[in-house]
Amino acid sequence: MSSYERRVAGKRLPRIDGIGKVTGKHVYAADFALPGMLFGKILRSSEAHARIRRLDVARALALPGVRTVLGAGDIPQIRFGTAIKDRTMFAQGEVRFRGEAIAAVAATSLEVAEAAVRAIEVEYEPLPAVFDPEEALLPGAPLVHAGWSDYQALPVFDREGNISGRSAIGDGDLEAGFAQSYRIYEHRFTTQHVHPGYTEPRAAVASWDGNGDVIVWSNTQLPFDMKNMLAEVLDLPASKVRVIVPGIGGGFGGKLRVGVEHYAAWLARKSRRPVKLITTSEEELTDAYPRQPTIVTLKTGVTRDGRLLARQGRVILDCGAFANSGPATAAIALQVLAGPYRTPHLAFEGIAVYTNKGATGSFRAPAGPMANFAVESQIDLIADDLGIDPLEFRLRNVYREGDKGPAGETLASVSIEECLRRAADSIGWSERKPLGKKGHSRGKGIACSWWLTTGGSSGVYVRINPDGTVTLVSGAVELGSGAITGAAQILAEELGVELAQINATDVDTHVSPYDYGAQGSRTAFSVGNACIAAARDLKRQIGALLAGQWNVPADSIRLEAGSVVSGEKRMSLADVAALSQRSGGGLISHGTAIQPMPVFDPNRVRHHPLPAWTSHSFHAHAVELSVDQVTGEVSIDRYVVAQDVGYAINPTYIEGQIEGGVAQGIGQTLSEEIVYDGGRVLNANLTDYKMPTMMDMPRVECILIEKPSVNGPYGAKGVGEPPCIQPPAAIANAVAAATGVRVQSLPITAEKIALRLAGKAGKDG
Amino acid sequence: MGFSFHRPDTIDAAISFAGVHGEDARFIAGGTDLIIQINRRRLAPRHLISLAGLGLDRISETSGEYVIGAMATHDAVVTYPGFQHELIALAEASAVIGGRQVRNIATVGGNIVNASPAADLVPVLLTLDAVVELRGPAGARSLPLDRFLVERGRTVRRPDEILTSVRFAKPPTASATAFLKAGRRKAMEISVICVAAHLVRGGKARIAVGAAASRTVRVRDAEALVERQGAGAFHEAGRLAAAEVTPIDDVRASARYRDLLVAALVERALASCAERIGKANP
Repeated sequence: MSSYERRVAGKRLPRIDGIGKVTGKHVYAADFALPGMLFGKILRSSEAHARIRRLDVARALALPGVRTVLGAGDIPQIRFGTAIKDRTMFAQGEVRFRGEAIAAVAATSLEVAEAAVRAIEVEYEPLPAVFDPEEALLPGAPLVHAGWSDYQALPVFDREGNISGRSAIGDGDLEAGFAQSYRIYEHRFTTQHVHPGYTEPRAAVASWDGNGDVIVWSNTQLPFDMKNMLAEVLDLPASKVRVIVPGIGGGFGGKLRVGVEHYAAWLARKSRRPVKLITTSEEELTDAYPRQPTIVTLKTGVTRDGRLLARQGRVILDCGAFANSGPATAAIALQVLAGPYRTPHLAFEGIAVYTNKGATGSFRAPAGPMANFAVESQIDLIADDLGIDPLEFRLRNVYREGDKGPAGETLASVSIEECLRRAADSIGWSERKPLGKKGHSRGKGIACSWWLTTGGSSGVYVRINPDGTVTLVSGAVELGSGAITGAAQILAEELGVELAQINATDVDTHVSPYDYGAQGSRTAFSVGNACIAAARDLKRQIGALLAGQWNVPADSIRLEAGSVVSGEKRMSLADVAALSQRSGGGLISHGTAIQPMPVFDPNRVRHHPLPAWTSHSFHAHAVELSVDQVTGEVSIDRYVVAQDVGYAINPTYIEGQIEGGVAQGIGQTLSEEIVYDGGRVLNANLTDYKMPTMMDMPRVECILIEKPSVNGPYGAKGVGEPPCIQPPAAIANAVAAATGVRVQSLPITAEKIALRLAGKAGKDG
Repeated sequence: MGFSFHRPDTIDAAISFAGVHGEDARFIAGGTDLIIQINRRRLAPRHLISLAGLGLDRISETSGEYVIGAMATHDAVVTYPGFQHELIALAEASAVIGGRQVRNIATVGGNIVNASPAADLVPVLLTLDAVVELRGPAGARSLPLDRFLVERGRTVRRPDEILTSVRFAKPPTASATAFLKAGRRKAMEISVICVAAHLVRGGKARIAVGAAASRTVRVRDAEALVERQGAGAFHEAGRLAAAEVTPIDDVRASARYRDLLVAALVERALASCAERIGKANP
């Protein structure tokens, strides 16, 4: 890391994909169409748990315009899944949630396909169902998957019955810790289902070519994972599956896993026509990958002067009818519970539980908001009980440089104290309960956390073109975050060119190098590192090419301002690229990157897929809000985020990530919830699923702290996920400061606050 | 499946079209609710008869009254000069219907005819003792809005009748209106409770509540109390209003919370009216 002035990295430059997107010319997957394309539609279960006694598609097949109807009997019965192979494309004789796919239709128009789906006859025989994850854990509870023990699963997970995965992290001597404690606090918190809220629905178009290869245009976040998954479900070698991501209108972790792609591919295979599927809002709210609801119980022992001594906690995570990322999410929750606090004695357990509800997924910072809501609410409860200022309480307990993390890994680049102090200063923490306007209570809240930068490898192909431009081929998609622009800024910096000279291509798994995918706050970080590797290789190639010609040492050759320079000698990068093409195939490089795994103590973790975090970041949020003393309505007056980003590759888009994450966090905190009544979603529409509007959003004040990481490009840390972690806790703490009402269940609706203020509701509101 | 779209040029042509197609036809104004109902398959009209070409989109005034054409948009109500003072509640209600795109196309007539108990403009019109004008095959008729509304989704309008306008008397100078709405977010929101109040100094009081019963209702006990006792009774009027409504539990809110909101918002709307009268008539 040098401290020289950078020309491109670190600058607020406009994103390279901006013009096409703001002018409406950019083609998203949902816009994509092919000649002769059919439209697919899925028949979904109307029962939460039932045997399918009869499935009759004759009336659907007879409708004019219907080309194909597929059910479980028409395709190989292949189980797939992320942690556990527990799901099939169509329910196999038994439906496990209301909304599960039973059959699919391809027809010449969407209207015909919809009519055909309605014409399919299904008879069900109801089976006992379980909807409450705690009930699902009781002996004798109905099993969501009676055949669970026969499923293939990643060996790391500990499974049994309705438990799809159980993980633990522990250290010290818990009993001794509680025995030494001055006070012990026990609390229970609950969180809800929330949808990732991407603007573009999940969409796919599939088409088979004459070689028996299938091309799928999809808005997936993980094209390579999708390719392998489709190969599995289509029973094809992976090389026969080509996934192209034309454009993607947001993902937030909700587009990691297969959604409509396998239906499109199978319908296209059977109908011999291209087939398009796109989800409706109702489908998004009943069969997508929302954030799992959780029940978090915490028992915490402290010393008289407010130091954490012993902490015990359990996260029960309702993963719905299929495990997907539930077991891993329950495991990652444990690190969120642990940090960023030193605790000599701790034992945390995470349990992912099957219920007869829709599947769930890896929404931005999976486990983050749920576990953080519990920990950071409880910290305030404890601090207030001990008569210690909540900020001061946190500062006494947070990690310091060189501390051990939950799995015994050594923590470096620890900045949590600075994050807390900067956020607190900005919000004016010394006055925690300012005077509200008439009829309103005002209060301030603070919450902090830490998060990882997900690993996995990245590859890029970089080509310097004879016209002086640079082509960046990454296997990571641009989700909308600006991450590829960030990686391109690093590439431009390294090659001595302007950002506008870099062209990034769409991802095509037949062409693009492998990338672990746009997930886990890793894209700019990991693709950026791969760009540095590619640029170094290109410099080496250029050096080798020109050293002999110029008769200079290769290491004297530098790239600057679009030129290659050594002493008095200078040639434009474009001419060097042309020279290379004439003499040796051009300037092309394959740069790769992967983060090293930290060393950890295996005795501290059990059944954990991700025992130690890589390139962790720290952050604190502070909020000032007003609560209507009668209606309970919350208005956020100010919102401050102090986030350690390591190195701000492009401050504008980092701030964009922070603002967007806070918006999603505010949604989860105050208004959003997929409401289940038993197995039925009561609000499967965007009228009653309430994402915040711009009118609900405060201006978010961003403080970017740059404490460099060891492994990130120029010291960068992952920035995408963290901003949605702390809003629930920060807002809950501020509401409590303002009103004295402590709401321990999300969302913190005005109704919960008002009924508590009026003395008309139970303690948990 | 699918529908034919008709755009007649005259009210009579629209009415006769509706007469020919009967239950298969629906009039369409802004379509911001109807299209959703069609997409959700709750309605499947074979014919949609547009009211856009009938010249019903004007807001006008005479010496004694205001007339809002059924096709006037909410955006037009928000910006209409006559609704910025005593009648500001009309603008306040129209301003919080949906979002900007909705207000730019959704109409006053649609808000009334749709007969949603949560319609935001309807409580305001009820407090103004508004009268609706209807045209049908047998000619025109008019009746008080309060008698026009029956229950959720139902009015006394016959299928071949068109609501052409809604009219109400100009209020006296020493009067005011107010509209308040509670919901989970600040825009694009269907009211959990909405309340309108209209006070005339030393005279009548009108209070109407939305989303608290099977239709938008006036709370007459509360009105009578305020007419008898004035500003000192606003709190008690809220309590009375809550006793007069019959809200339900649904995914948006509990009945208990709606009761609480009715009491609070009625008191506030009345207080707001009193304050506005005081400010405008020092």
